[in-house]
Amino acid sequence: MTPAQCPRCGSDGSTADFRGVDDGETVWTIWRCNDCCFSWRDSEPASAIDRKLRAGEFALDISDPGRFPVVLQPSNFQK
Amino acid sequence: MERADGNLRSNLAERARGVGSLRDFLELLEEHGQAVRWSDRVMPEPDLRNIAVAASRDVNNAPAIIFDNIAGYPGKRTVVGVHGSWDNIALLLGQPKGTTIREMFFDIAGRWGDASAQISRVSEGQAPVHECRHEENINLYDILPVYRINEYDGGFYLAKASVASRDPLEPDDFGKQNVGIYRLQIQGPDRFSLMTIPAHDMGRQILAAEREGVPLKVAVMLGNHPGVALFAATPIGYDESEYAYASAMMGAPIRLTSSGNGIDILADSEIVIEAELVLGERVFEGPFGEFPGSYSGVRRAPVFKVTAVSHRQNPIFENIYIGRGWTEHDTLIGLHTSAPIYAQLRQTFPEVTAVNALYQHGLTGIIAVKNRMAGFAKSVALRALGTPHGLMYLKNLIMVDADIDPFDLNQVMWALSTRTRADDIIVLPNMAMVPIDPAAVTPGKGHHLIIDATSYLPPDPVGEAHLVSPPTGPEIEELGKRIRQMQRGDVR
Repeated sequence: MTPAQCPRCGSDGSTADFRGVDDGETVWTIWRCNDCCFSWRDSEPASAIDRKLRAGEFALDISDPGRFPVVLQPSNFQK
Repeated sequence: MERADGNLRSNLAERARGVGSLRDFLELLEEHGQAVRWSDRVMPEPDLRNIAVAASRDVNNAPAIIFDNIAGYPGKRTVVGVHGSWDNIALLLGQPKGTTIREMFFDIAGRWGDASAQISRVSEGQAPVHECRHEENINLYDILPVYRINEYDGGFYLAKASVASRDPLEPDDFGKQNVGIYRLQIQGPDRFSLMTIPAHDMGRQILAAEREGVPLKVAVMLGNHPGVALFAATPIGYDESEYAYASAMMGAPIRLTSSGNGIDILADSEIVIEAELVLGERVFEGPFGEFPGSYSGVRRAPVFKVTAVSHRQNPIFENIYIGRGWTEHDTLIGLHTSAPIYAQLRQTFPEVTAVNALYQHGLTGIIAVKNRMAGFAKSVALRALGTPHGLMYLKNLIMVDADIDPFDLNQVMWALSTRTRADDIIVLPNMAMVPIDPAAVTPGKGHHLIIDATSYLPPDPVGEAHLVSPPTGPEIEELGKRIRQMQRGDVR
């Protein structure tokens, strides 16, 4: 299966996590972006999974990961 | 409204006490027309979201909806809206449909500290939750019929999961087990991220485990006893067991068993996911359409690795619609946000007569108080900001006199209109605030607002104008009920 482009960050690196099958026929596939962790189902409305149609404010640029807040800053444990 | 005669009330109360699982409660809801089965074929997106939103528009009467024909998930079931209306909450509390929010508030407030817990244990071999077990090649998508809750969520969320954990530093202390509702984003077949903040019990436990380099194991329970779902979201003290608390509040026994990784879990839940914190790792999490009606941002959140999954045969995956209100989130947690604040305030100020913190998890709250002297209500408001929930959630507080019903917004607006002066407003700047407040300049920090809408009292030199005193009390309430019965044709 050809990896799908991430609708959110545009990365070409993605993984197919699961296929939904009805009566032996694949009806959708769930993909996960290896870079920005976005997950999507390829049967969703285009407004959610077509990069050109998605609302611009929900695009993601992860080139500077440091700008994203860290939930519970991990401590430097030594054990 | 159901005829609320004595027999019906006692039957409903007994029936509610007999609810031991999600399945029991769905049966009860169906008996009262409060659960429906949706058997037409639906797509996970956008159909499940659309139907859940359509149902939640009827905050008083919406039924739970059970889907059993979802494209790509043959044989799997999901349910939304179990706590999605006041009528469903009433039935859970053993009250008739049509019970007012105010009546339910005082029912819950009256249960506080008034009952003892009934916890029994079931062996793992006898626990329904362990009927089916997966320990290898786990793929959460193969077990859970998930769907994107809001269109721009960052992934597929488990938004109604009760997460149980033991304190990583004191794992033998029953009281320090934590059970809380946290949002979980699936991050691949056998991983999920968990969103929390340092002030939440889970946040403390993650920080402690990472600081000391010790494991933190969790059990994620899905499709739970509806009373635990209701009360596990309630902020209580860190040393109090949510299971014991929920049992006491429901006046009903709760059956526990052990998860495979040694945590006390509900024996009758539909599904339990056992997992362990990946120490020090953070992954992109969000956005997620949250209870203020806005998306949280993208953050880097702690991640857990799934070690096993147990579930009942033919399990029901329970989820919630959450987003711009009203939604099931509001009816699930509203009363049980209000009641603890009321109980905690009354420990120091018995003059407090009711608390309404229904709005966006208490971002706005209304407190009614018998005003002892001029300015007294302001001190009560400051005390409310010192309660566990008030600390980060009570952003806007409206203080009203005891002659105002805080659940009746017309009365609250009357108090605001007639009893508030411009200098009766206090702004407390730059305090702790829940990070997902969309109005925050800096997430996690914000201003608290107190509006004192109580009446003037000595030593204030300007007394209140003489009030009109319309008739009130039980006689008027009975007359109101009689009018409604006449309207329905129940009496002539």
